[in-house]
Amino acid sequence: MSRVVRFEGLWCVFEHRSGQLVNALQDVTFDVQSGEFVCVVGRSGHGKTTLLRVLAGLQPPTAGQARLGDQVVEGPGADRAMVFQQDTVFPWLHVRENVEFGLRAMNVSDKEREKTTDRWLEAVGLTDFADSWPRELSGGMRKRVALASAMAVGSDVILMDEPFGSLDYFTRRNLHEVLLDLWKETKKTIFFVTHDIEEALILADRVILLAEGRLVDDIPVRLPRPRDEDVRASAPSVEITKTILAHLGITEEEATKV
Amino acid sequence: MTSTDVLDVRAKARREKRKRQVFQVTYLLLGLVFFFLVWWLISLEGSPFYYAIPSPLDTWRHFWGNLGTSQDMRIKFVHACPDLHPDNVNNPFRQVTSSLMGWKYTADTAIASGGPSPVPIGQLPGYCYGYGIHLLVTIVRILIGAALGTVLGLTIGLSSLVFPQVAQVFTPVASFFGTAPIFIAAPFFVIWFGVEIPIMTTIGLVTFYTTLLMYFFSRRAAENIPVGIVESALTLGGTPRSIFRWVYLPGTVPEIAGGFRIALAGAWGLGVLVEVLGIQVGGGHLIDIWRFLIGQIQAPAALVSLITFYGLLAVIVDGILLVIIRFITRWSEAGRRLGL
Repeated sequence: MSRVVRFEGLWCVFEHRSGQLVNALQDVTFDVQSGEFVCVVGRSGHGKTTLLRVLAGLQPPTAGQARLGDQVVEGPGADRAMVFQQDTVFPWLHVRENVEFGLRAMNVSDKEREKTTDRWLEAVGLTDFADSWPRELSGGMRKRVALASAMAVGSDVILMDEPFGSLDYFTRRNLHEVLLDLWKETKKTIFFVTHDIEEALILADRVILLAEGRLVDDIPVRLPRPRDEDVRASAPSVEITKTILAHLGITEEEATKV
Repeated sequence: MTSTDVLDVRAKARREKRKRQVFQVTYLLLGLVFFFLVWWLISLEGSPFYYAIPSPLDTWRHFWGNLGTSQDMRIKFVHACPDLHPDNVNNPFRQVTSSLMGWKYTADTAIASGGPSPVPIGQLPGYCYGYGIHLLVTIVRILIGAALGTVLGLTIGLSSLVFPQVAQVFTPVASFFGTAPIFIAAPFFVIWFGVEIPIMTTIGLVTFYTTLLMYFFSRRAAENIPVGIVESALTLGGTPRSIFRWVYLPGTVPEIAGGFRIALAGAWGLGVLVEVLGIQVGGGHLIDIWRFLIGQIQAPAALVSLITFYGLLAVIVDGILLVIIRFITRWSEAGRRLGL
């Protein structure tokens, strides 16, 4: 495996309205290897999304840098397609046109565009809804459209910012399977932000733990796949959960109460 | 659920959609019936409005009778108008077509009658012509003004997204004029361009008004597109051009279209108002003439018919616009409600 992403001494400092400086990221350094499924876990407001936005090129760092391959990230691009937490499917375009958006921007020929779009619509199970408006789809289906759009542009790295956070448990589990199938098939590198430890354990090869903008742990997840309830209830899985909770400052007792 | 069941459900959904559409048309017709019923009731003898408001039927008779050639007006200004060919006077269809075809045809038929023409043909005072040509001229002026203003407003508004300097220059100007009701500016336009260049005055004012509104609406529409959607487009490889074409243009349509409806609704009033203030041709000028002749028995019917014409015209155009807008924005919630 080769290194595809590198964060080097990354700092992001924001000035609050009160004039107080907030360190969203503090000296974050780590690498991501090609084909890895990395989950970034942490509490809300502890820098997960900022880290992702820096890599997406949507947020310039205050100091340090994010690298994609050998290139320093200086702006957004199709080589790091992103799936957002909020609904960002274009409501004025049919499902097919949504998936085609990035390909159009790259001036891909009509024939190639149609072929690629069909492939990804089939991969996410939306072939029959290609000519539907997004408003005619459920929240889970719209996430599939976003996922297909990100996959279709052919980027090697897919960024996902709590993409399934607003969905119900069953839809989320279903989308986890879709995402893992796509990951296995494409060998893309997936950088997935979540605050849900269970979600991280289902998906990740590796968990990056952020607390107050600092990288506090980098935990390899060597659990067998598929990670069903039995796997997640196994001793190694519980151990990882305990480690994460401890880093987040939550004891098992508190976690149970929550 | 079997495939037959699915077909049944779809057929039911289609039936319900049609039912909704029938209801919408029915409500519209009921509204019109109610409007004319109330009008008829307040025009009855004994009503306090009896002398001011003629019945819908009398109003219609007056309007139709004066559409091609207005004998009612010509009688008052008989010294200034040449005779028209009897065919033109007696044949309503001929009256309308002669008006629609313009001054020349009317003038030719006037000469054909063999009567003298006291003033050069084509420069006859407005009261020598029927309502049709006046109303048509006003409609054309207002639509040209609204179209020009829309193009200008959208061009400035949307280009200001790409070139912020445009917004820095234009926003203060637009805010300054936008804070003063445009109706205050109307007399200044009449003074500035004068009644000699009515096209400039009416079209100019409507263009100015529409430009301001469409500038603000296009800016606001673009600002209301969620940042997340633009960021998503950027991370999918969107270029400024593709984002403008596939995100900003379609995404701003609902708000811009709504703004255009508001602008056009105001433009009807504004265009007619300017004509009332002094322009010599147009529906507003007719209102001014009849205001001058208010003591005449025909005056109430004339005024009510002209005002009703513009009111109905504005409602009909707005209705057509609404259907077009809902079709264009059928991806939105409004489209869903219409069952598109």
